[in-house]
Amino acid sequence: MSLHEKFSSIRKGLLEFLVLKIIAADKVYVAEMLGRLADTEFATQEGTLYPLLSKLRREGLLDYDWKESDAGPPRKYYTLTAHGKAQLEELNGYWKEINRTIGQLGKQP
Amino acid sequence: MNKVVIANLNGNAYQLEEVGYHALRAYLDRAETQLRENPDRVEILSDLEQAIGEKCDQFLGAHKNVVTSAEIERILAEMGPVHDASSSGAAPEAELGAEAKASAAEPETAPKRLYQIREGAMMSGVCNGFAAYFGIDVTLVRVIFVVLAFLTYGLWALAYLVMMIVIPHANTTEERAAARGLPFNAQELIDQVKKKYADFSDSRDARRQVHKHRHERRHQMHAASEQALAVPGYTAHVVTGLLSPIFGLVSAALFVVFIFAFISMASTGAVLGWSLPTGIPLWAGLLILIAVYALITGPIKAARRATYAYGVRPHAWLAAIDGLFWLAFTMLFVWLAYLYVPVVHDLIEKFVSMWSNGSIWNKVWFSRFGILV
Repeated sequence: MSLHEKFSSIRKGLLEFLVLKIIAADKVYVAEMLGRLADTEFATQEGTLYPLLSKLRREGLLDYDWKESDAGPPRKYYTLTAHGKAQLEELNGYWKEINRTIGQLGKQP
Repeated sequence: MNKVVIANLNGNAYQLEEVGYHALRAYLDRAETQLRENPDRVEILSDLEQAIGEKCDQFLGAHKNVVTSAEIERILAEMGPVHDASSSGAAPEAELGAEAKASAAEPETAPKRLYQIREGAMMSGVCNGFAAYFGIDVTLVRVIFVVLAFLTYGLWALAYLVMMIVIPHANTTEERAAARGLPFNAQELIDQVKKKYADFSDSRDARRQVHKHRHERRHQMHAASEQALAVPGYTAHVVTGLLSPIFGLVSAALFVVFIFAFISMASTGAVLGWSLPTGIPLWAGLLILIAVYALITGPIKAARRATYAYGVRPHAWLAAIDGLFWLAFTMLFVWLAYLYVPVVHDLIEKFVSMWSNGSIWNKVWFSRFGILV
C-alpha cells in the first residue's frame, strides 16, 4: 500500500477544510478551486467538488453569487458566510492541536 | 464518419458523436442515481452539465463544431465519478488524486431486484415489476394474479396490496435496468463502448458491425433513450396532464365491464345473455374473456404509456395520480352500478354469497375437468 493510499481517507476528510480555506482567501469559482488543488496532494475533480460545495452551502457555511464572465456563461463565485468563517477558525485551531500532538508523540518525555 | 447527436447541457446545445453521447448519458444517469437522496440534486446536476459544457467548449472552434467520442471520454475522466458528499459514511473509497482513479473502476455486477414499474402499469406496477423480473409478458402475470386471487379466495389480493406498499418503485434508469437484471452503470457501459468501438473501427466490415452493435446498444439503452427523447414543452405537459386521466377513465370503464363479464360468466356461465357453447368448459371461457380484455385494452395501454414518455422524468407523480384516478373511477363505477343497475346489484349479491360459501371454487374447479355442476 502506497503512502498515497494510506492517507486517502485523511485527505478526503481534509478536503472540506481546504475548500473553506481557499474560499476564505478569495472569491473563487469551481475551476479556480480545482486549479489550486491540482498541483497538491489534494487534487480532486468536479464529480467530488460540486456535491461537497452543495453540502457546505446547505450547512450554511458558504454562499455564492452569479458573475458574468468574459468567456461563456455566468459563473458561481463562492464566499464564506459568518458561520463558515467561524467554522474555519475552529478547524484551524483543531488542526494546530493535531499537529502539536503528532509532533509531541513519540518524543522522550 | 459518425452520427452526431445534439445534446442540451444546462441550456446550451452541443453536437456530440453518438457513442460519446451515450457515454455522457450514462455518466449523468449514474450521477443522478448517486445523488438521488440529495436535496440539491437538480442544482448539482446542472452544475455538472455546465462544467461538461465548458470542457466541451475547449475542444470546439471555428472549424470544429462536433465533440468527438474520445474527447468526451477524456472530459468524463477529468470530471471524475460523482458521489454524494452528504452520505460520506457510505461513500466508496475516496477518488482523490490520479492514482486512486484507476482503482475506482471496481467492477459492479448487476443485481436483479424486484421493483414496481409505473410506466405502463395498470395500478401501481407490481405485475409490471414481476414481468420484468422474470422476463415474461405482463399480461400473463396479470392473468396469473387474477387466477391466484380467485383460487385463494381473495387472499392474494391482500398480498397484492401489501406488495404495492412494500416493493419500491424503480424511478431511475439504473433501477429500471436492475429490475430487468441488465448491467447498467456508467463505468461498465463506457468500457463496453470503448472496447467495441476500438475493435470495430479497425475491422473491415466495421460499418456494418458498428451499426449492428448500435442496434444492440439501443435496445439495451431503451430506457435511457426514452428519457433522452423527452424534452417536453409546456403544452406537452398540459396535454399529457389532460389525456392521462382520460385514458385512466377509459381503461377503468373497460376494467369494470371486464370484471362484470368475468363474474357473470363464473356465476351464471353466460355474458349478456350469450352463454358458452356446450363442450367448452367454464375455465376456458374465463381465459377467453381475459384474452379478449387484454386485446381490447392493448392499444389504450400503449397510448397511456406514450403519455408517460413525456412525463416520466419531471413528473413521476403523473403516473401515480393516473393510478389513483383509475382506482377512483373503478370504485365509482362499481358503486353507481350497484345502486342503480338491478342486474349488477343482483350479480354482486349473488357473487358475494357464492364467495362466502365457496361454491365458485367448486364450479371453477370441477369445470376444469369438464364436469358440469
